[in-house]
Amino acid sequence: MTAVEPRAPGGIREQLVRTLADLGRLRAQDGGVITIRIPAGALEQATHAAAGTPGVRLADMFAADGDNTVLRLVWAYEADEPGYVITETEIDGEQYPPLSDIAPAAFVEECEIYEQFGIRPAGGKPLNRLMLPPHAATELPTLGHEPSRPPEEVHAPHTVGGQAFEFPFGPVRQVGVESLYYGLVTSGEEVVDLYLFTWHKHRGVEWRLRGKAVPEAIFLAERAEGLSAVAVGWAFAAAAEAALGVTPPPAAARTRAVALELERLYNHAAATAALCQATGLSVGQAAAEIALERLLRLNASSFGHRYLFGVVEPGGVGRAPDADVLRRELPGAYGELRRVADALLSTNSFVDRLEACGILTAEQARRLGLVGPVGRATGLATDARLAVAAGPYADHPVNVITAVSGDVFGRFQVMLGEAAESVRLITQFLDEGTGADRTLVPSRAGTGLGWAESSRGEVLAWVALDGAGRITRARLRPGSARNWRGFDDACRSQNVFTDIPIIEASFWLTAAGMAR
Amino acid sequence: MPVWFVRGLRRGVVTTRYPARPDSSAASLPTPPAFRPRELTCELVDRMIAVCPGPALRRSDKTLVFDAGACTACGWCARVAPGAVASSGEFELAATDRSALVKTIPILGEQQ
Amino acid sequence: MKPTPDAAVTAEKLREQIAAQFGRSLHIRTLDTGSCAVCEQEIRLLAAPHYDLHRLGFFFTPAPRHADLLLVTGPMVRAFELAARKAYEAMPGPKVVVATGACALGGVYRADPFVHGEVEAVLPVDVWIPGCPPSPLALLHGLGVAVGRLAEKTPGLTFIAADEIPGDGA
Repeated sequence: MTAVEPRAPGGIREQLVRTLADLGRLRAQDGGVITIRIPAGALEQATHAAAGTPGVRLADMFAADGDNTVLRLVWAYEADEPGYVITETEIDGEQYPPLSDIAPAAFVEECEIYEQFGIRPAGGKPLNRLMLPPHAATELPTLGHEPSRPPEEVHAPHTVGGQAFEFPFGPVRQVGVESLYYGLVTSGEEVVDLYLFTWHKHRGVEWRLRGKAVPEAIFLAERAEGLSAVAVGWAFAAAAEAALGVTPPPAAARTRAVALELERLYNHAAATAALCQATGLSVGQAAAEIALERLLRLNASSFGHRYLFGVVEPGGVGRAPDADVLRRELPGAYGELRRVADALLSTNSFVDRLEACGILTAEQARRLGLVGPVGRATGLATDARLAVAAGPYADHPVNVITAVSGDVFGRFQVMLGEAAESVRLITQFLDEGTGADRTLVPSRAGTGLGWAESSRGEVLAWVALDGAGRITRARLRPGSARNWRGFDDACRSQNVFTDIPIIEASFWLTAAGMAR
Repeated sequence: MPVWFVRGLRRGVVTTRYPARPDSSAASLPTPPAFRPRELTCELVDRMIAVCPGPALRRSDKTLVFDAGACTACGWCARVAPGAVASSGEFELAATDRSALVKTIPILGEQQ
Repeated sequence: MKPTPDAAVTAEKLREQIAAQFGRSLHIRTLDTGSCAVCEQEIRLLAAPHYDLHRLGFFFTPAPRHADLLLVTGPMVRAFELAARKAYEAMPGPKVVVATGACALGGVYRADPFVHGEVEAVLPVDVWIPGCPPSPLALLHGLGVAVGRLAEKTPGLTFIAADEIPGDGA
């Protein structure tokens, strides 16, 4: 189960860059990430070439306003040293090639881009509503041009023997969970289909970041998905640092990594508690919550905030952890979680609910571009901590934990393995030394891509700054924004209603991270 | 199932006695600032307002208006004015009147 | 909106009624109007062993008809407004609305086309609990204040550092 996947043969980056550069031209190299400008006429071919290169996946797609809308695709390559390549294309007019036909992972982004910029893939394929609410009364500003006609609400046709009905559930749901709307299609017990909407939590974070200076922007980015505050803050700060040609001091980078691993730990403990709640094992839930509370108190006593807000700052970090407290308390807090996990793994009634529940295949995960424990539980060994570029993980390589079953149990095992890894990494970072300094950050124009591996998966952020160092376009893509699209496939694989909360706990995403 | 019963007994009680007794974990919680009027100048207060990521700080002539309800205890105001801003240590901030969370602090420091 | 003298008397009577009816047994419903998800995690921990709100006679309920208190997080995203009103109206009176967290109190998002910026813009709020997020201890204090079991501290707080009170000489 614990595996370090054999690396794909080296040279993937060179191959990808060469193929794309042949179709366009190199525009920039910010912080190790190459951006290639592809003319609109060559975009389809470029997408085919990239999607067809083994070891390459489409990590994100977004647009930015300009004289013409600029469409950017972020390709991730999994080579000896994984990394990213960006293509950017000016789209003149309302249409661009149907990219999701080539890279299915792009469909959700095509819907988002249509709502925000009014451009759509050629071929007339219907696009779903994503961020904008259906009420005509709300006139929401967009990042670019409004769509010429509202998005359709088309759901994939489903066939079922007998009657099927759809019942809406949410957005106000059970106690203490976020607002989330599901349209549950069922013919009785089993889940035929499941639609998710999060537009009722859309705060317009990317719209609100425009014109902001970087420090204030990090404050908002952390709160886009607070349970991944360190990861989203780090990805965003790294994007700004890449844009400005700045690297945090190594000790500060290690501080960020310690905070990130603590964030991973508490999230996995919270997911364990949620799994127990979903399976009705109250005693397990209480035990896991004791572990979670200990970890949150450790965050407060070492970093000054239970959820690690305010640690990441542009150029470095705002505070260093109390290393003595961490070294002293971490083994006990992790031990609490480990004992709960051991007890759960020996409770057959619990394990039975998890096995063969919510199965996703590696093929589905690859097609949808799923990240984090959800992707890794199907066997895909993607982890943004491997995309190093002289970051703190360069000297402390991560053992990527994968499973093959792709079910809830596999995801649970991956989380437990990652928790152990996190403790090992924290100890190593503390031993090497953590600090609270920052590199001075200039105010000038630039663009850059940043990333971090949150407990939910890869977070990507991209930023464009003007000459005064203020944001003209900020793109935030938390892990949740990627992985929710796998939720309906996971729920559909021969599951019943009562499995849905179990699957939701095993994904451990947030509506806030999708809606932002 | 026996494993859970034994575990639970062995683990013991972790429940806080709060509110009947204070809870020591409160000491490491971030709390809103407490200001030192004699260290505040209008210029310093304006810098604090500029750095505050929310609407928690305002200045009205020689008075600092602090909205503890809007404060996220981020600590940035303390960072630009370390002598003038301490931590209040207060986390029991619930109010039945929103205006009770808005406080005025006189600016008594020397004007530059 | 300052209450009129009559409204102030009514509010006082309502508080007494609330303390009498809910003081020892309160059912809480939660409502997320657009939070970052952290306030929800702290609220969930109220039922966890370290805090155990049940020992105080407080219970969570998913059923609005059974709920006495609505615990609201988030900056009231405009697209959620209809759902918020329905959730509030589904609760029979007497009921108490508690806005919790800096987002709900107007501290993170200003009013703009996406959000109202604070819960009070849409629902009548009785108790405000600051924090980002308010810890479970702060939430317990806030719930105690809401049912009249705990005294409010805020009216007496000055946020002036104790080592320097104006008029103290030195």
